[in-house]
Amino acid sequence: MKQMTETQLSQLEQDLNAIRDEVIADLGERDAQNIRRMIRLHRLLEAGGRVMMPFGFIPPVFVAATATLGIAKILENMEIGHNVMHGQYDWMNDPALHSQTYEWDTACTGDSWRRTHNYEHHTYTNIIGKDRDYGYAVLRLSDDEPWKPWHSLQFINYILLSVFFQWGVGLHELETEKLQRREIRLREKLPFLKEFARKGGRQAFKDYVFFPLVTFPVAPIVLAGNIGANLIRNLWSSTVIFCGHFTEDAETFSEEECKGESKGHWYLRQLTGSSNFTGGRWLHVLSGHLSYQVEHHVFPDLPAHRYPEISGKVQAVCEKHGIHYNTGSFAKQYGTVLKRILRHSLPERLAGSAIRA
Amino acid sequence: MLAKQPQSRALHWLGKQLFNRNDPAAFFDPLLERINPMWIRAYTPARVEQIIQETADTRTLVLKPSRRWSGFRAGQHVTICVDVNGVRRHRTFSLSSSPMFWQQQGRVTLTIKRLPGGRVTNWIHEELDTGSVIGLGEAFGDFLVPEPAQPVLFIAGGSGITPVLSQLETMAGTDYRAPVTLLYFVRTADDVIARKKLQALSARYSALSLHIITTHEGESPRYLCDADLDSIPGLKSRQVYLCGPRGLMDLARDLVNQRGVDDTAIHSTYFSAPQADLGDEALGGQVRFAGSDAEASSQGDATLLDIAEATGLSPRHGCRMGICHQCSCRKTSGTVINRLTGQASGPGEENIQICISVPRGPVSLDL
Repeated sequence: MKQMTETQLSQLEQDLNAIRDEVIADLGERDAQNIRRMIRLHRLLEAGGRVMMPFGFIPPVFVAATATLGIAKILENMEIGHNVMHGQYDWMNDPALHSQTYEWDTACTGDSWRRTHNYEHHTYTNIIGKDRDYGYAVLRLSDDEPWKPWHSLQFINYILLSVFFQWGVGLHELETEKLQRREIRLREKLPFLKEFARKGGRQAFKDYVFFPLVTFPVAPIVLAGNIGANLIRNLWSSTVIFCGHFTEDAETFSEEECKGESKGHWYLRQLTGSSNFTGGRWLHVLSGHLSYQVEHHVFPDLPAHRYPEISGKVQAVCEKHGIHYNTGSFAKQYGTVLKRILRHSLPERLAGSAIRA
Repeated sequence: MLAKQPQSRALHWLGKQLFNRNDPAAFFDPLLERINPMWIRAYTPARVEQIIQETADTRTLVLKPSRRWSGFRAGQHVTICVDVNGVRRHRTFSLSSSPMFWQQQGRVTLTIKRLPGGRVTNWIHEELDTGSVIGLGEAFGDFLVPEPAQPVLFIAGGSGITPVLSQLETMAGTDYRAPVTLLYFVRTADDVIARKKLQALSARYSALSLHIITTHEGESPRYLCDADLDSIPGLKSRQVYLCGPRGLMDLARDLVNQRGVDDTAIHSTYFSAPQADLGDEALGGQVRFAGSDAEASSQGDATLLDIAEATGLSPRHGCRMGICHQCSCRKTSGTVINRLTGQASGPGEENIQICISVPRGPVSLDL
């Protein structure tokens, strides 16, 4: 990890706080309009997708309906849900947009997400052993983790995780690796499992039972379309999320080096543990602005549509302090993610020679 | 502000499954709002039909509430909600029209005075237009006309006349058979709200004795004094209603007590003045945890989370440094300082992150 003195870290903290304060002072009508516009778009896309779906016996309509519903779910999960739950819009005082009560269109409960993502992931970002998002316990992504033979087939895990991402995220809090190591007992997880069953059941009922049944003659088509829409969302969101912390230059950290961390040190870790990707405006919106993962990790509770606006200032602060600002094209960043998954499928010395070969 | 809907439980359950909300009917609000804001379900909408300028700093809004609004009794108030610069703000105002006007015409009025530095009242005076839709809560309050009829004395000051207007209209309309006296205090003749209405009432309602007293037109201020009560027959047996600035109400209560009117016969409704700037007051204060029926006092810059835990509560929390919002909860009153930014909160109801909030003066939390 880049070594900075306490004075330098304190200056870094001040520089970044100044950017945040400026945005906070400016929040108002424009931000409210933005999120409300996204929500209107979501409602239109979901309603449109579901209305078209029964007519999916006509192939082009099936494609359009599935894509529309898939994009609706992507928008709701990433641009709306994830951002609202971070508290980005709590200042609006709208009970429908309150971070602690928002419930989103995916199998994971809002409460579980708030615990594992807002608290654990954002506090312990990329700290091996503490940030369970790093590899999701089914992938070996750094040499800090000892290699086991099953890792050589971890690409299958990657595919399965991506295809069933909403269920993976929903069950993330189960901490299966700790259950396996007998560090915790299943009984402790029963309240969580109950919550998960209720939410997961509700989502499954909605997409796989209710909407197909309500259009009985074309039920299989609606079922297939809804599965497709969820699949689209799963594949897209897992890809975007993996690009956030698993690219080549994204650093990992040990527990010791982060003990008793100052705010400046926390900022440094967020900057170097996250990575951005570039693209057009709609790529950013569809990624819930997680394309600005660096800005998001440094300021998780600023409205995400502000990240492009402050990106230049954040880059300037990085340059001032000699900190690497991790960005690249979507294709390039994703390529390094795939490389990381493949490389750590093999033990360190083999991986080294495989790459040299 | 919840619009109470008697819905079939099955439909409500289905709505929850499909839309992941406790108010499933509001799922399509963002779209309905664009077509017709009166179709909103998340709160009870009311359209601003007319705006009447009463005095330089007071205007009356004539509202047409959605038909599902439950109505009110004369003297009650409502909490409205408006979006000011992206933020939803709530304020409470007395209804200045009579329940009969609502029943017959489907309209209500709010008479709102612009407060210096008041965020919402200034927005109402400057930005709110006819045609806009605001949120209208259910009416509440026990500042009510006596039933059966008893002699009444109203002492009102400035915009405190608003609930009294509603009550006088009602009394006139129902032929309220008992003497009614109104002592209405204003600074200057230009500050009289609804002068024409009051004079018309005085003309057609014979039981009403109307006295408008200007306090700042003479050389020296002329406030409520004991002599004003001399001319009121049977004061001891009257129900006394007070509404106006704090100073007037306290003075009136004292004078009327001295004349033998018991506290049980005195009814008040408070309009709070804009919060005084607390300036550099010391940190710390009395903290009340309303949900757990506990209280604690603190000094210095202990955060509300620390105070709660020291009191034996275990509030939900996460990072303890103001990032993850897990500790976010509702402050119902009081001012807190944000330890990260040094900013003071407002004095009213809002959400705060208790791990970074330090009380300044008394604070009440929903914990």
